[in-house]
Amino acid sequence: MYLVANVNVEICASKSCKLCTQYCPEANTIQYSEEMGKEQGFKYGSAYIAVDRCKGCALCVWVCDSLAKNNAITMTMIDQLPKAALTDNITYGDKSTTAVLASPMVG
Amino acid sequence: MSLDYVKFSNGFEKFMPKEYRDMVEHGPFGKKVTVSQMGSFKEALEEHPMCAGCAMTLFIRLAIIAFPNPEDTITVGTAGCGRLAISQAAIPFVYGNYGDQNGVASGLSRGLRLRFGDKPKDVVVMAGDGGTADIGFQQVLHSWFRKERFTTIMLDNEVYGNTGGQESGMTNRGAVLKMAPLGKKFEKMDMLQMAKVAGCAYVATVVPNNPRRVESVIKKAVLIAREVGSTYIQAYTSCNIEYAIPTDKVMEDAKTVENDRYQFTEYVSEEAKQYLAERYGYKEFLPKPAAAIPNKA
Ligand SMILES: Cc1ncc(C[n+]2csc(CCOP(=O)(O)OP(=O)(O)O)c2C)c(N)n1
Ligand code: SF4
Ligand code: SF4
Ligand code: SF4
Repeated sequence: MYLVANVNVEICASKSCKLCTQYCPEANTIQYSEEMGKEQGFKYGSAYIAVDRCKGCALCVWVCDSLAKNNAITMTMIDQLPKAALTDNITYGDKSTTAVLASPMVG
Repeated sequence: MSLDYVKFSNGFEKFMPKEYRDMVEHGPFGKKVTVSQMGSFKEALEEHPMCAGCAMTLFIRLAIIAFPNPEDTITVGTAGCGRLAISQAAIPFVYGNYGDQNGVASGLSRGLRLRFGDKPKDVVVMAGDGGTADIGFQQVLHSWFRKERFTTIMLDNEVYGNTGGQESGMTNRGAVLKMAPLGKKFEKMDMLQMAKVAGCAYVATVVPNNPRRVESVIKKAVLIAREVGSTYIQAYTSCNIEYAIPTDKVMEDAKTVENDRYQFTEYVSEEAKQYLAERYGYKEFLPKPAAAIPNKA
């Protein structure tokens, strides 16, 4: 098994900083959804990870902890994630994206 | 090359993979996308085999987002790590022999001008420090002396990363690498100074831990190269493999190196300033009104 980044929506959706999206070395991997936090009753949207593209470098963890000071991202074994975003289930809108979460193991 | 190529061929739409469909429908083409919108539009760069946590990859990602007209841009690369990602973008990529990138780009940029006249087609070279300062050195310098109108970007990881850690002219004096076990004997080459001596209209250094600055220097360099002359960006893009930087410390390293030898510097020729101000509305380069000049008396 291997590690991928995992965003804590509760923390992220109270911040709206979007900083990690500018630092992941991989394209279209850290995505932002204006709905994801609000749907769960939080103030803002949330960042989330397209786990099929994440290479597990943890650079985003450093950005969220040390630059943004929000500590919202942790590295998690991919089979320990109950549900995650996968490229196939991400839809682009005009200014935001939405993701239908699915099992990272079986899609 | 135009928005015409970013579309489905008749009847093929339903057979195209999702990534391609997203690119056509929500990609950066024909819009002005910015670094602050990252995470909300489909990027031109796709998956690629560069190492996890590589700062060069991040820089390339930012650079591609910053291209002022991605649909009218051609990238040129050479042997080295960067081409592994640059070639995986929905932007035409030209790859020649190791070190010939500035020769190829000179021909390409002239050819495009003959074919398309005044319509800007941007040529952007991205090559490693070995490709730029060692193997491609004479073609790089000649393209600058000849004022060829394209942008040269050095992806400076201070090592030959792709081939396992040989020293390059851009490696620091004393650095010990896997295939330079005695330590480098001479100083890091001053390519910035050489770019100025050779007459580049724009010369800047940048590190990827400041994404907005990367965006700003790339835009200026590409715009200036449309008409004024050669432009050069030297970016510190660490190799976490050859310098054994833990991937979660790559941005911390970038900050340390920025403070040590990669402070932001930007040279813009007078002609380029005027061009950016008049043509593209860059306020910081407008001539200062007389009243704003402080009275020295
Ligand atoms: C003519 C020629 N000689 C040698 C090589 C082998 N080679 C491939 S990449 C490379 C080094 C690349 O170093 P650099 O340009 O600094 O880029 P980096 O991989 O560090 O990004 C070499 C020597 C080659 N491809 N062609
Ligand atoms: S840096 Fe942290 S808090 Fe900010 S958007 Fe990313 S995950 Fe959320
Ligand atoms: S771990 Fe690395 S690849 Fe994965 S989302 Fe974070 S920065 Fe991107
Ligand atoms: S070898 Fe170094 S420069 Fe090349 S992709 Fe890996 S980390 Fe990046």
